[in-house]
Amino acid sequence: MKLPVLFHIQKKDIANPVLLRVIISEQSTRIDFGYTTPWYYSKGGWIKISPATYLTVQGSDKKYTLIDVEGIAIAPKRLNFQSTEDWKFFSLFFETLPTHDCVFNMIESENPTEDDFNFYNIPLSFTDAIAFRIE
Amino acid sequence: MPINKSAFRRYKVIDMLLQNKMKRYPTMQEIIEACFEKLGVDTSAETIQKDIAQMRMLPPDGFDAPILYNRSKGGYEYTNPDFSLLGVQLSDLDIETIKESAELLQLVGGSRVSEKFNNAIEKIFTTVLEEFPNHKHREKHVQTMVPPTSRGFEHFDLFYSACIQKYPVSFIHYSYNKRVFSPILLHPFLIKEFENKWYVIGFSEKHNKVRTFGLDRVFSPFLLNLNFKTVDRFITETTFDNLYGVFPIPFQPKQKIILQATALATNYFLAYPIHSSQNVHKLSSGVANIVFELIPTIELIRLILSQGNQLKIISPDWLVTYTKNMCE
Repeated sequence: MKLPVLFHIQKKDIANPVLLRVIISEQSTRIDFGYTTPWYYSKGGWIKISPATYLTVQGSDKKYTLIDVEGIAIAPKRLNFQSTEDWKFFSLFFETLPTHDCVFNMIESENPTEDDFNFYNIPLSFTDAIAFRIE
Repeated sequence: MPINKSAFRRYKVIDMLLQNKMKRYPTMQEIIEACFEKLGVDTSAETIQKDIAQMRMLPPDGFDAPILYNRSKGGYEYTNPDFSLLGVQLSDLDIETIKESAELLQLVGGSRVSEKFNNAIEKIFTTVLEEFPNHKHREKHVQTMVPPTSRGFEHFDLFYSACIQKYPVSFIHYSYNKRVFSPILLHPFLIKEFENKWYVIGFSEKHNKVRTFGLDRVFSPFLLNLNFKTVDRFITETTFDNLYGVFPIPFQPKQKIILQATALATNYFLAYPIHSSQNVHKLSSGVANIVFELIPTIELIRLILSQGNQLKIISPDWLVTYTKNMCE
């Protein structure tokens, strides 16, 4: 399939941030997230992403490293919220994943706390991939 | 060879003289005088001869203008009387109308629509100022409200292109009400403005029906290379014609809605009807029943609430309860 392609991720479980969309191009794998501030942090708290965050494909040891971000701070910087009703759309860019059916994980910390953004078992089926319209 | 700007302005003077049906066959002296009068610069006969030669050349160097010196009449003419340098012949009235239209477009068009349109309108207006230098001295007699640019408005061009060329769009939507993000695959067919807010309407695959999305809640849209799902435009357009606003209250059909307005509020409804179905039945006290045939919307309820005690719902009863619940 000709790149770039995108995948809408319809996860049933309630996660925060929620992983919404994956876009694979020749340059990168972009993952889009939406975050809503929880009630239990004063003024909504803050978010950041570790520069050491990576992707792995199940069945392989290769790590696909983080190369860029949009809409979120790279640690140790933080993006501070102002209220418990705030929200943020952000994107992380990694090295390009293989262009065949796979299941991948996103690892921010190998010893995660509940504040780390780790995601597991995200399936990518290229029969569901949607091609971009390139002008 | 590129045509310089001052030469092009002389070409237009020559063209204007050659098109003048009331005074045909302008002489060289008349052309020189017209150039001085219109452009304020002395022009030699040699320059005019070169201009005419250039105008006769084929594009792109010239305009293939059929200019001939008529010896018997002692002046120049277009051998094809329908020829015009710019392809379209404009009367003085046409030109004045264009100037006024350009001014109006600049006032209302530009930034309220999109950056692309704004640039096009700026080009038109700049051209008008260049062609008619005195135009800029005109006083402004119209002022419109130009709201600051809103979030999501930058996606206008993409959705407009998607509607015209029938491309589905992937975007991320955030619901203010539910505080939920969702990926949406939309087959858009209409962009709608209501009270300076912009919406895109289309068939949503996630919802399996036609849905409306505020552009301010849309993130990162991409055009897709997918088959476009068309919907029955007649049904959808008829539906939107029956709305005041964009978000209908779910499962409510078009129905009779009666509001009672104070004398003060009645004046505004009479001056600014909110929908084509509006009928005002005025009582002797000045109070009026205002009747609509509408699909009830969130925006209608907001309008009613915004009027405080100037406006109340008479019927249907369910709308009275619904509105009351919205306030609690």
